[in-house]
Amino acid sequence: MIRRNFHPFSGLILPRFAVVGALALICGAGISAQTHARAQTHAVANSDAATAPVKSLGNRNAPITMEVYSDYQCPSCGNFYENTLKYMIQDMVASGQVYFIHRDFPLPMHPYSYMAARWANAAAKIGKFEAVDAALWDNQQAWSVDGNIEKFVAAAVGQADFKRIKKLMEGCEVNPNASVKPAAFKNNGQEDHGCALDAYIEQDKLLAKQIPVTQTPTSVITAKSQRYPAMPGFVTWPILKQFLASLLSQ
Amino acid sequence: MSTGKRETWRRVFLLIGRLALAGMFLFAAYAKLKPQAALPWSVASVRTSLSMFAMQVDSYQLLSPQAVSMAAHALPFVELGLGLWLLSGLWLRYSTLATSVLLLGFFALMVRTYSLGLEINCGCFGPGEQLGKKSLLRDGSLLAFSLAVTICAFLSKRKRSESANSIPAAASEPQRAN
Repeated sequence: MIRRNFHPFSGLILPRFAVVGALALICGAGISAQTHARAQTHAVANSDAATAPVKSLGNRNAPITMEVYSDYQCPSCGNFYENTLKYMIQDMVASGQVYFIHRDFPLPMHPYSYMAARWANAAAKIGKFEAVDAALWDNQQAWSVDGNIEKFVAAAVGQADFKRIKKLMEGCEVNPNASVKPAAFKNNGQEDHGCALDAYIEQDKLLAKQIPVTQTPTSVITAKSQRYPAMPGFVTWPILKQFLASLLSQ
Repeated sequence: MSTGKRETWRRVFLLIGRLALAGMFLFAAYAKLKPQAALPWSVASVRTSLSMFAMQVDSYQLLSPQAVSMAAHALPFVELGLGLWLLSGLWLRYSTLATSVLLLGFFALMVRTYSLGLEINCGCFGPGEQLGKKSLLRDGSLLAFSLAVTICAFLSKRKRSESANSIPAAASEPQRAN
């Protein structure tokens, strides 16, 4: 007689468990993916506010680091950007020889410079600093008349990015240098506690105090961990390039 | 004050003046040539210092980049040469005159830049000194001092020439009498 061994987990039962397990895994993964996607959407919105603005261009490990303390409404700074920094960015920053850092140093004499710095910081938070920085300098004369910076920022970035920048600008709508200052403004109208972006501008101003920076533009160059004396004022591109080349040849 | 005493004071002032001006020019040249940012002395570090000085000259916004580069690379050596010339005491009238002309040029440039409202580094004694009322006052005083030394050098020369002329004349008097 052939004896058949009956096992409760043999035959149909094991495959059924496998199918149920696989289904559970798929459903789990699906739910997880949905949750993750939803979380990611929130994370993008939240991370914009949480991340520090990157107001620099080029390779962080470049042999030369050039920090420029600027005021977006200062004509000399605009001149410096258009005639010198623009070429440096295209040439030595693009080739990885110079790491460029923008530092905000809005001067109280310029009514819209603090507001412009806020827009630049908001753009820097979503990685759109280069485009907005260029737009602010290129249109300096236009927005300096009425303080309408928003339209130039909108033109410089896409619709979606502009929405993100606008979201970051919530609470920063009032110009801190306006003639009628709300009670929240302190320190000669340079601090508005309602705008989260001001912390980054103030941070740059603190760095400026340590150097010390008293005027704009002021360039601070570091090469091979050697910091050179701060250079205030406008410098033409051929002369700056000559200096940077001499640093590279050290 | 007797003529002899006055002449002695003039000579003392001339000596102190030319040594002071020589020291100032030698220091100005050193400040421009010395390696920046704790680098050791080398051809490359001096070249970097000269390039940095070129940026300061450029910030005056007066010359073309080529002229800026030439001026910045020549000026520290001109200052060095002038300092050594003043120190040697040779052809003192011309060395003090050249000093005054150079200082007058610097001062005029500084006044022009200040009146234009350019906020830049003076670049007078290396980097880090802002152009302002203080530097204008200092350079103005230096110019006045240099002019005084130059006048003194010319007066001293004239006095010496007069004395040299009067000695043979005095010496020839008895001969004529004879």
